[in-house]
Amino acid sequence: MTDKHSMREMGEKLVNVKIDGKAITAPASLSAIQALWYAGYSRIKSVGCLEGVCGSCRVLVRRAGNSEVRTQLGCQTLIEEGMQVMFLVFPRPTHHTYKLEEISSSWEVQTKFHKIFPEASRCRECRGCNASCPKGIDVMKGVALAARGRFREAGELFVECVMCDLCLTACPELIAPNHVGLFSRRVTAYFHTRPSNLIRRLEGLQRGKFEVNIEGEKP
Amino acid sequence: MTGISYSEALAHYQAAKSRDLKKSDMATDELLQAFHPDYREDSLVSLCVGPNQGDSCHRQLAELLQSDARIDEADLAGASIVQTDVLVIGGGGAGCAAALMAEQAGARVIMATKLRLGDSNTVMAEGGIQASIERGDTPQMHLDDSLKAGHYRGDPKLVAKMVMDAPDVIRWLIQQGMQFDLDEFGDLMTRRAGGTSADRVVYYRDYTGLEMMRALRESVRNSKIDVWDYSPVVELMSNESGHCAGAVISNLKDCSYVLIEAQTVILATGGIGRMHLNGFPTSNHFGATGDGLVLAYRLGAKLRDLDSFQYHPTGLAHPQHLAGTLITEGVRSAGAQLLNGLGERFVDELKTRDHVSAAILKECAEGRGVRVDENAVGVWLDTPGVERTNPGILAKRLPKLVELGNKCGINPVEMPLLVYPTLHYQNGGVVIDEHGQSTVPGLYCVGEVSGGIHGRNRIMGNALLEIISFGRRAGLQAAEMSHGRGHKKVTIGHLSKLRRELAVAGMPMEVKGPMLFPECAKFEKDADYEGFRRKKQ
Repeated sequence: MTDKHSMREMGEKLVNVKIDGKAITAPASLSAIQALWYAGYSRIKSVGCLEGVCGSCRVLVRRAGNSEVRTQLGCQTLIEEGMQVMFLVFPRPTHHTYKLEEISSSWEVQTKFHKIFPEASRCRECRGCNASCPKGIDVMKGVALAARGRFREAGELFVECVMCDLCLTACPELIAPNHVGLFSRRVTAYFHTRPSNLIRRLEGLQRGKFEVNIEGEKP
Repeated sequence: MTGISYSEALAHYQAAKSRDLKKSDMATDELLQAFHPDYREDSLVSLCVGPNQGDSCHRQLAELLQSDARIDEADLAGASIVQTDVLVIGGGGAGCAAALMAEQAGARVIMATKLRLGDSNTVMAEGGIQASIERGDTPQMHLDDSLKAGHYRGDPKLVAKMVMDAPDVIRWLIQQGMQFDLDEFGDLMTRRAGGTSADRVVYYRDYTGLEMMRALRESVRNSKIDVWDYSPVVELMSNESGHCAGAVISNLKDCSYVLIEAQTVILATGGIGRMHLNGFPTSNHFGATGDGLVLAYRLGAKLRDLDSFQYHPTGLAHPQHLAGTLITEGVRSAGAQLLNGLGERFVDELKTRDHVSAAILKECAEGRGVRVDENAVGVWLDTPGVERTNPGILAKRLPKLVELGNKCGINPVEMPLLVYPTLHYQNGGVVIDEHGQSTVPGLYCVGEVSGGIHGRNRIMGNALLEIISFGRRAGLQAAEMSHGRGHKKVTIGHLSKLRRELAVAGMPMEVKGPMLFPECAKFEKDADYEGFRRKKQ
C-alpha cells in the first residue's frame, strides 16, 4: 500500500481535492480512495476489488472549471487539482426478478423478457445510462437490442459490465439496464452454450470411463 | 539499489536478437529454497496455542491466529438473535455456490458478507477454470498435474473429488448463465496452465471471474437466500457439545451485534492477500484479510500448510498506485516471454508459479532486473512478442490486460509491461473432508479458506474449480445436516478457553482478531464505528 513517506521522498506533485467534503492534499498518482486513506480518513464502505471490476466504489466527480458532474468508479479515478468527489450509496436492488429455469424453452425467451422487464420497451432514449456508465458501454443500444429479442448481440455489449448499478440509478423509466444486459448474457449461455467437447466428456464420466487412481507414483 | 535502468533495459529489450532460454544453474528445489519468500527463515514462527500448536506458521498469520477476540459476553447483552438452517459466511464464488445448493435442497439460508454480495477475489480472477474435457486429456492427468505442481503435499482424496467434478462444474455454471469462450463450432476453448500436461483451462476472455460472479450473484439475488451485506463475522458460536452453531455478526450499518444461530455454518471467507506477507504487494481484494482462518482456529479447527503461500509471477511492478495488480497467466499461456534487464530470457514461463516467481526474484536480487525508481523493480513481460506471433490476440482474448495498459499509459501491443511477483493465494487453510467438513462438527469450510487441495503450490484454474466443486459439496451436505434437533445452548464460551491459553503462553493480548479490514483503511480509527469495538473498561 502507498506509503506516505516514500511518496514525499519521491517529490511527487501534490494536488488539492475535496472528497466527501473533506479538503485533502495528496499526490496526483493516487485514486480517490487512496487519497482518502492517505489523508488519514477511514473508508470501508464502497471499497472492493480496487481494480475496477467489482463496481462498489461509485462516485460523483466534478473537475475544476467544469460544471459537469460525472459518475465514475472511485478506485479508477485519479485525483486532479480542484477535483470534487462524492461517494454514492448503493441503490435499492432492482424489483425485477426471474429464474432461468422458469423459461421453458428458447422459443419463450422474448415473451418472458417483456414480462420480466416490461419497462425495457419504454426507453425514451434519454441516454442517461450511457452517460453514467464508467465502462463506456452503449447501454441504451443494448436495451433496444434486448427489447427486439436480439439477446446474443445485446449481451455482447455488456462484456465489461461490472454491475455498479449506475445506469440503474440514472434510468428514469426504471428499466434496470444492467440487469437487462445480464439477462441477455445469461439466456444466451443457458439456452445456446452446448459445447460438444464438454458433453462428450460428461457422457464418458457417466459411463464410468474415467476413474482416477490416487495411489499414483511419487518421485 | 541494484538493477538496470529503465532506458538502458528498454534498449537491451529492443536490440535483443535471439530469445533463447538462458541455461538455468539451479534446480527447482534449490531455486525455491534460495529465492521463494516461503523459505525466508525469519518469516516463520512456531504456533504456541491451539490445534496446530508446534506447527510452523508465517509470523504475520501467527500473530492473528493467536490474537485476542474482539468481543466478550458483555458485548452481546441485548443483541438480537436470528435463527436459520444454514449460515454461509462470505459472498464470493464459494459462498454463492454453497448457498445456492443449500437453498435448492430446501434449507433456510442466510448469507452474511463483510462487504457486498460478490465482493471477493472471485470477481477478479482472470485465467480460467480447469476441467479435463479435451480429447487426450483425462481427470487422472488433471489429478497428477495438480499433485505434482503442489510438490505432492496436497490431499489426493480431495483432489480426486475435484477433478472428477470438474466437467459437471462447467455444466452447472453454464446453467447459471455463465458464458465461456467458444470456437467457431461452439466447443469450449482451452488454454494451458503453467506446470501442466494438457490444454485444460476453460475461460471467458481474461474476465472469467467477473463473468462467473455476475451470473452467480444474479442467481443468488433471485433466490430465497437472505443476503446480509456489510455484516462481518467477528466470532463463531458453538453449542453444548462443541458443534459450531452460528456466528456473531457485526452490522456495519448500525454498529450493532446480531447473533445468528444456525444448524450448520459454511465458512467461505477467502484468503489473506491484504496481510501483505513479507511486505509484498497483493493482487487480492480489499476484504482478503484471513478472517476465516482466525475464526475457525479459535473454535478448534485444525489448519494445515500455514507456511505456504502463492506469489503470482506477474503482478504489475509499476506505477506504484497499481503495483501488485494481476496480469493473468493466460498471457504467458498465449506465448508471452519473461525477459530480464539485459533482454535475456531466464525461465521457462510455463513452469509452475512458485518456480517462475522465484526465478524473477532471483533476476532482481542479482541485479538483472529493470529498475524504475527506488520502489520499483521488475522484469519485462513481452506482450508485443505475443502480438507479433498472433496479431489481434490481446484485444480479442485479453481485454483486461489492454485496459490495464491504458491505465499505466502503456500500450501492451507495442511496449512490454514490467512485472514482479505479487501475493496471490493462500495454499493451505482449514483441514476439510470431501464435503468441506472441518474437524469441528457443523463447521464447513470452502474455497481459499480451506486447505489440502493445492499442496504447496496451486496451478492456474484450480481455484475457480475448487470454489464451485467444494462449494456445491458443502452446500448440499450442510443442508442435509441441518435437520437436527437444534441446539440447547449457543455461546461464545470457547473464548474463555482461548484467553486462558493465550495468557498461559504469555502471548501479547493487544492484537485483536479477526483483522476484518486492511490497515490502510483506518477502520480502527473511524469514529463512525465506535460502537463496534470492545468498550474500554
